[in-house]
Formats: sequence, C-alpha cells, structure tokens
Amino acid sequence: MIDLKGIYKWVNTGNNRTFLLRDVNLHIKEGEFVSIMGPSGSGKSTLLNVIGMLDEFNEGEYNFLHESVHKLKEKQRTSLYKQYIGFVFQAYHLIDELTVYENIETPLIYQNIKTSERKAMVADILDRFNIVGKKDLFPTQLSGGQQQLVGIARALIAKPKLLLADEPTGNLNSKQGEEIMNLFKELNNEGVAIIQVTHSEKNASYGSRIINLLDGMIVN
Amino acid sequence: MLKHYLKIAWQSLLHQRLNSMINISGLSIGMAASLLIFMWVSNELNFDKFHKDSENIYRLKNYIAIDKKSTWIWENSPYLLADEVQKKLPEVLTVARMRPMAWENVHFNIKGEFIQESNCAYIDSAWFSMFRYDFIYGSANDFNRHPLSMVLTASKAKKYFGHENPLGKTIRIDTLDYEIRGVVKDIPPYSSFQYDVLIPLAARRNNPANIKNDESWGNFNYLTFVKLNPAASVKDLPAKITTILSENKKSDNIKTGLIALTDMHFENDLQTYVIEHGNKNVVFIFGILGLLLLVIASINYVNLATARASLRAKEVSIKKISGAGRGQLFMQFVVESIMVSVISLLVTILILKFALPSFNQFIGKNFTLSINDRLLWMIVGGTLLASIFLTSIYPAILLSSFKPVAIFRGFNALKVKDGALRKGLVVVQFTIATVLIIGTIVIYRQLKFINAQNTAYDKSQILSFNIPYKLFSKYKDDGRTQLVNSIKQELLSRSMISEVSVMNQSSVIDMKGFSSGGSNDWDGRDKDFMPAIGFFYTDTDFKKMLNLEMADGRWYEPGNKADEHNSILNETAVKEFNIRKPVIGQRFVSQDDTGVIIGVVKDFYYKSLHEKISPVVIKNVNDYNSTFLVKTSPGKIVEAQKAAKDVWNKFFASEPFAYKFLDEEFEKLYRADHKTASLVWIFSGIAIFLSCLGLFGLAAFTAERRTREIGVRKVLGASVSGIVSLLSKEFILLVIVSLIIASPVAWWALNKWLQDFSYRIDISIIFFIAAGIITLLVALATVSVHAIKAAISNPIKSLRTE
Repeated sequence: MIDLKGIYKWVNTGNNRTFLLRDVNLHIKEGEFVSIMGPSGSGKSTLLNVIGMLDEFNEGEYNFLHESVHKLKEKQRTSLYKQYIGFVFQAYHLIDELTVYENIETPLIYQNIKTSERKAMVADILDRFNIVGKKDLFPTQLSGGQQQLVGIARALIAKPKLLLADEPTGNLNSKQGEEIMNLFKELNNEGVAIIQVTHSEKNASYGSRIINLLDGMIVN
Repeated sequence: MLKHYLKIAWQSLLHQRLNSMINISGLSIGMAASLLIFMWVSNELNFDKFHKDSENIYRLKNYIAIDKKSTWIWENSPYLLADEVQKKLPEVLTVARMRPMAWENVHFNIKGEFIQESNCAYIDSAWFSMFRYDFIYGSANDFNRHPLSMVLTASKAKKYFGHENPLGKTIRIDTLDYEIRGVVKDIPPYSSFQYDVLIPLAARRNNPANIKNDESWGNFNYLTFVKLNPAASVKDLPAKITTILSENKKSDNIKTGLIALTDMHFENDLQTYVIEHGNKNVVFIFGILGLLLLVIASINYVNLATARASLRAKEVSIKKISGAGRGQLFMQFVVESIMVSVISLLVTILILKFALPSFNQFIGKNFTLSINDRLLWMIVGGTLLASIFLTSIYPAILLSSFKPVAIFRGFNALKVKDGALRKGLVVVQFTIATVLIIGTIVIYRQLKFINAQNTAYDKSQILSFNIPYKLFSKYKDDGRTQLVNSIKQELLSRSMISEVSVMNQSSVIDMKGFSSGGSNDWDGRDKDFMPAIGFFYTDTDFKKMLNLEMADGRWYEPGNKADEHNSILNETAVKEFNIRKPVIGQRFVSQDDTGVIIGVVKDFYYKSLHEKISPVVIKNVNDYNSTFLVKTSPGKIVEAQKAAKDVWNKFFASEPFAYKFLDEEFEKLYRADHKTASLVWIFSGIAIFLSCLGLFGLAAFTAERRTREIGVRKVLGASVSGIVSLLSKEFILLVIVSLIIASPVAWWALNKWLQDFSYRIDISIIFFIAAGIITLLVALATVSVHAIKAAISNPIKSLRTE
C-alpha cells in the first residue's frame, strides 16, 4: 500500500542544512497497524505528514496504492488523500462553530455526496460510536474523549483505507486513551490500515509493528 | 451546499457576536450617514432639472456698471423687458415672469385673524406653461382667466382648509378676496421656486400705481425667464437683449446676460437675491465627507473580516484536509460577506426610517425614502459590492496561500502577511477622522469668533419693526416725520421700553441698501471713482442704540439744524475715499447735499462677516425713516413686545404688527454656517465612532491572537501595565502616524473654508495639538479595554488553550 524509498526532507537554516528525514525506507501493507515511536524532534510527525501528503519531501520516491506520489501535482495528491486517508489529531481540531453532526458531515459535503446519503452515513457512524445523543452539541460542550471520538468518526466517515493518527491519546486520560486504542484495534480488524504516532509503549503495543525514529532515521 | 454555507455563516456570525455587531453596526451607520449626505448632495446637483425642456430655459440677469472698478449684478429685470424680448426676438419661444413678495409682509386674513405668509409670489400667465407644476385640483387656465385667483400647494391647502377640496374657497389679503383656483403638489426640494402661494400678476396690475411703477424701465423687480428654440444660438442673445434694454431705458450702463435655469442654484455673483442658492464648495465638501464615511465603514468591515479569517485558519485547514477546494472556501467567505451585508442593509434602512424626519427638519428639506429610489440602490449596492468583493477575495487569497499542515506549526505564516495591510487601513481611517476633528474645532472657533465680533450691543434686547411702504406713502413729507415722531414718543412713554431709534435701512444686521453715483463728492475724489456707499439716515439716538464709538470728531447733537447737511463716516469710508487730513471739517457732498464731516465712527458690523465692512455714511435726516429699533428695559422683553404692539395698533389698527428681534435676524444670517458646522460635527462624530469601532475590533483580535504570548510573558514576570502598554503601543503608533498625515490635509482644507470669510481666525497649532490629544485619548481608551482584560487574566488559562 505504502512504499517509501530513500526519502529525505530538510530545511535550510542559514548555511546549515537540518535534516528532518534521512533516507527513510518503509513498506506498509494494506490492513497493517503500525506505531511510530521516538523521542521529541525525531521526525515522527514529519513522517506522518509526508505519508498523509500534507507535507512535501525533498528527495526519494513515494508510491501510494501504485501511484507515484512524488510525480503527482498538488491537485491530484489532494484528491488521492481525500479518497483514501483519514486524519486524527492530538488536539482533535473540530470546528467550533459546527455541531457534532455537522463536523462529521463536513468531509462528505466536500466529496459532493447527496444529502440523503450523507444523513444515512452520519447516522450510521453516530450509532456505531454511541454518540447519537450528542449529535446536536457543539465541540466545547464535550469532554476530551468525546471530542476525539467525534474526530475519529469524522476521519472515518468517508470510509478511508488508511487512518493517520498523530498522538491521538496525547490529551486524554488513561481510561479515555484506552477506549480510543480499543476502537483503533477494532477498526484495524475491519481492515482499515492505521499508522499512529505515539510516545506510549502501551499504546504502541496495540499495533502489529513498531517503527523507531531517531534524528530522522529509522533505527530497528 | 449553499445550505451548508449559510449554516456555517450564521453559526460563525453568532459565535463571533462582538465582531458581528461591530461589523453590522459600523457598516449600517456608515451607509445610513453617507446615504443622507448623498441624498442632499444629489438634490443640490439636480436643482431645477425637472422642468420640461429645462436645458432651453434661461433667466435674464443684469450687470450694472457703477464705476470703472465695480459692477452690481441683479437677478431682476424691468417688467416691460419681457414683453419686448418676446416681440422682437423670434428665437425666444416663451417668456415668463415672477415677482416674489420677498420684501413685503403678506398677511392672510382668515376670519379676522392675521397669518403671515412668507412664500408668496406673483406670476404671469406664461408661468405654468414654462414650468412644471402638477395640479391636483383646478387648472392653470382657470387661474390665468381670473385676476383674483390663487394657487396653493397641497400642504398649504391642507393647512387652511383641511382635507376638503378647497376650490372656490377664498382667502383675503388686505381688502381683496382671492379665490382658490388650483392646488398643486408640494414643491419638490430640488426646485428654486419654493413658493407655496401663487397669485396672478394681473391682480397686482389692478392697481394703477403698480402699473405705473412696473412700467418704468428703471425699476428692476421681475425674475424674467426665456425659453429658447433649441436650435437658436445662446451666444448672441445677451447682446440683442442689451440693445433692447438700452434703447428703451435710454442709457447704456447696463448689460444683460443669461444664466441657464439648471445653473441658477449655484449662481454666486449676485448682489442681492430672493432665490436661495447653494454653495458648490459645501456640496463638494459634503460629497467627499459622504464618501469618506463609506470608506471608513468599509475599512472596518474588511479589517475585521480579514483579521477573523486568519483566526479561522484552523477551521479552514480542517476543511482543506477534509477535501475542500479553493473555490469552495472562497464561496463560503462570499456567502458570509453577503449575509453580513444583507443584515446591514436592513439595519441601514431601519436607521434611515428613524433618522430621516429629524434630518429633514434640520436641513429644511423634505426627502422621502423610497424603495424605487435609484440613488439609494446605487449607494447601498455599490458599498455592499465593494465590501463583499474586499472581504471575500482577500481572505480567500490569504487562506489558500498556506498549506493546511501550517496549523500544526502555529499560524506564523499569517501573522506577518496581512498585518501591513490592516495597519495601512487603520492609518487611513484615523487620518480621515483626525482631519474631521480638526475641522470641527476650527469651524467652531470661527463661529464663536463671529459671535464675539458683534457684541457692541445686546441683540436679544432690541426688536425692530417697519412701517410698510403702502402705509407710509399715504403721508406727505412733514406728515411722515410727524407720524414717526409721535410713534417714537408713544413708545418711549412706556416704562418697559428704554430707547427708540428710527432709520431708513430695513436692518442693521444684514443691511442691503447701497447706493452709488455722482451725487456723492469730496475734495480729492478721482472723477471716475463712484463707490457704493451704505447710507444710514437716522436720528441722534442711533449711536446709543448700537453703542457706536467715535474714532474722531463728534456725534449729532439734538436740535442742531446745521447737522442736517453734515455727515459722519465710518473708518473704512475715510480710508477708501482717501479723505484729506484733517478729516473733521472736510467738505462732503452726499446725495447732492453739501456739508462737512463732523465725525468718524469706529467700524461696526452691519452685514455678514463673510463680507468686508464697506464705506458707511450716517446722516441725521428723518424724512423717509420707517424702521424702528426698540430697546427693551432689562428683563422686560415680553412686556416691551406687548407694548410695541399696543402702540402699533393705536396708529395702524387694521394692519398686522410684524416685528423681529435682532438676535433672530443675526441667527438667520449665519444659519447656513451653523448648519454646516453642526453637520460636520455630527459626521465627524460618526467617523470617529466608526474608526474606534474598527480599532476596538482589531484590538480584541490582537489580544486574542497574542493570548499565549501574554500568558508566557506574565509567567516570566511581566506586570499588568507592561502588558497593557505592549498591546496598546502598536495602535497608538498608528494613530500618531495618522496625525502626522492629517495635519497638512486639514490645514489646506480649512484655509479654503476660511477664505469665504472676510473676517476670520488664524489656524493655530493649538487646534492640531488639541485634535491630536482627543484622537489619542479616544484611541487609547478603546484599545486599553482589551489590553487590560488580556493583561489581568490568569496566564494558566491562556497557556492551556492548545
């Protein structure tokens, strides 16, 4: 599904070139559950953003579902991640002005799905996550764990093949975190590939593989 | 999709309540204010264009050469000139005449009660065919057929006869009953002919004395209009008319010219006039003012919308990640803009509905708000389109210029980019506001200066009244003097009246009677020098009444027979006539009467300060004096007024008593200036308010954006005052920059305005400093509200937000 070959990413500060990613080679199969670990500043989030096509890299090849991402134009990349990738953030990043229902609905609107169909899809996922009763509340009226549930629901609504999560439990207490990780496990069992960035060994253990990063390089 | 946009727009409107309120109220107040201004401006610019073929109608005007240097220009022509022009010049299609009864007091006698009507005019039978009047009842034909007819406007008819059809009813003036033969729609505010009561000229010509008077070629009393064949050349016409006038008048010192009907409103070279004129400069200034208000209001809107847009980077990022394209985001901002604009439009109309009556009353016009008004839609539509354009395109470009992943790294990209634009706009706003504040201060000072100049006597204690010519002319020379003296004695016998003086001029506040010619002479006069002189013929009490001061020589002595031929000059006359030294005792011939100069009075104001004080000669002659100046005893104003009426009724029982206090006259003289001042005051207030509203919103935004920075600084030990000054500094700097830009602009504009006054204040640096302090204080107060709020909040809270 994902094939990274010799990926380099750097920024130039003055005369120095700081490498964020260094010769990253990574292969991830469909349906895999991978955890990326490493100390702060080791390039975990950068790698995740590169995989999510939110960020560019300077050198190397990236093939996603047999498409050569490094050769695609921005527009094509956008439509690619729109179709196949869902994002979950540490700080949830829900839209404060919208209700739970509307937040989850947003990606569908941009994919030009009909109203009736949208309704059914959102209702399904609300039901599945047990948040039907919360659908008319605004994000600020929810607890952190509930907000993250909404965030995940939003990421999943368009039925992506890959879920990218950047420290999804970082702002949650341990009980809430555990619930989210169980949910991930469940989703993975249904065939959704998951790549998560995490600091916690415990969370990492939910995955099938751990990738350790140090100074932008994979160390295994 | 649209529903989604609307929902988002509505939610974010509610969510950002403060912001939305600032946006909507600012935009609507600005639009309403400038709409009012533009209504007035467009009214001024469209004067007299509603008449059919208005572009072919001209009024005659006459240039009277009084000596080599100066010319008087009159708006009136002799009665017979119209007839001759019609007869001799084939290119003239129609001629129409009007004689406003501006100098006469017309009193309607309604069941024995006198009601003064000031807007009456005589018109000839061609008037209604040349000018547009919409008849509701009756017709022009009926009116023209009978001399004793009257046409009223709808509101006048309603005033006298209520809602019933007034045709056939009569109104008595003096001894004659006039029948109502027509009611026309009210005169529109853009007509120069604001006369509510029209009477056929034929009625006036029932009196043989009037015919004799009118048919003298030396009497210029008629506004005379000609409608030309569109193919005719306008250029040659004045010469032809001048020839006709010279042949008949048997003199060639008068040239006739033409002014287009549509230019008449801004005619500004007349010596005296009955038609009210506009001032092109004032119209221009207000036009700009209206535009500036719109700019200020729009700037607020743009500034706040863009500021908010960058706060919304997160929302936009998520949408981008969720797959929103640029077009979709753009549409969302457009929809939001439109929503705010539509709400503002409704609020604007609401404000106008409430403000229009007082605005009308204030400027003395009758504007109405109509949905069909093209101007309304042009202004509102233009403003809204511009705002929508600016507030949707700019944020759209701004927000599509960064990658969604930027939200993971904070909003750095945004902070730098749009700051400069917003700062620029704030500077523009405050520059405008500061110019207006300086303007308000200077105008206020100038008006105060005018008031301070005329304080030689207490205007509120002097009332004046006039014996109308028709009563006066019944008496012979001696009889007149006797009559005046008995009235004067009678007045003085009342305890509430302390002084009485009688003079020939009808006013000492706005004196209009000047004369010139070869009948005035003195030693050393150049033969061609025949200046216009204001002659006051009065009694010995005049000096005390007006508190005149002598600069040289003496005042007239009661009972001194020789003084009847002598003259007293004002300082300006002495200077301009180049009277030889010593001035006292020099020969002076006034109106062919030879005597000597016995005194010089210090210059005193007897007309508007817009004009320079000109030469005045005071004579102690009583033959034709018919204007009484009556000074009341202190605190007895009401009683004195009653006493004067009492005396009047003793002499002229059947005539209504018409009087005015000098302070009313004075107020009337500067009414236009006071109106300008009040309007500038109101609108600069609005401008400042709107600018501060914008600043308030921006300060709120800055405080919000820098919450985390403030938190960090507080944790590191910053004091409240330190943080307040940190947040305020940037804005105060902008205001100072505005001050620097505004000062020369204001100086230039106000010098222009002051040039209109012959007596004026100097623009002092103090005005600028004062305006600067006012602006700074207001801005500081506005900004610090948010700064203080941010500074005293608990840093733990702000640091927890992310």
